[in-house]
Amino acid sequence: MSLFSRMKHRGLAALATTFPSLGERLAAGYRAERQDDGVPWVPVNKPLSRSTVALVTTAGVHHRDQQPYDMHDHDGDPSFRELDFARPLDSLMITHDYYDHADADRDLNVVLPIERLRELAAAGEIGAAARLGYGFMGHITGPHLETLKSRTAPAVAARLKKARVDAVLLAPG
Amino acid sequence: MGLVQREIERAGIPTIGVSIVRSYSEQVRPPRTVFLRWPYGHPFGEPGNAAQQRTVVREALKALVGIAEPGAIVDLPYRWRREQYH
Repeated sequence: MSLFSRMKHRGLAALATTFPSLGERLAAGYRAERQDDGVPWVPVNKPLSRSTVALVTTAGVHHRDQQPYDMHDHDGDPSFRELDFARPLDSLMITHDYYDHADADRDLNVVLPIERLRELAAAGEIGAAARLGYGFMGHITGPHLETLKSRTAPAVAARLKKARVDAVLLAPG
Repeated sequence: MGLVQREIERAGIPTIGVSIVRSYSEQVRPPRTVFLRWPYGHPFGEPGNAAQQRTVVREALKALVGIAEPGAIVDLPYRWRREQYH
């Protein structure tokens, strides 16, 4: 993808943040593929006060020493990054041209509320905030959707399962 | 985001997602969603507003426990930049 088209995406992203109605129209131009194979479901059967809660973000968050998401592929990047919240928060950064992350750059909790989750753990509202979270970039299309569904998302699910987290909170960019 | 959420739930872990594009959530059908009509890049609100961010986290956790119907979307009542948070 050319430098020009990356600048175009960033420019549109900034406008959509200033004018939410434009954002809605841009979103309407891209139609998410309907998932017809039912809705996966497991009941919540542990009280929140004893639950370890993990965070997963599709806002393009990664550690500075990890490879950034690929912004040159028109279909996006379906890979994931493991986020270690035991490291300083400023070891994390965002690579994502498709939304304006100026506010999230100033305060990561706007897209990934690890500090808020820790406060709820300290107050006893949840059992614990999981040490490890996972980052993806949103805006994945074309053949990468299948990679996400059949490979990278199940790989993250398996890691969360192995870490015995009780619940997962997900948020976009 | 919803596709990742579906796979985590399929693996046996209950999930809740925060959505800012309702039509995506309707199409992708994650197990549980709270929706906010807020701008891109701000699912938990504004920088430096811990009370606002905490409110969304709490509402999401409340919906995690409270939603009984698979695929339900809870519309949260908070308007962008027109609420007081405590």
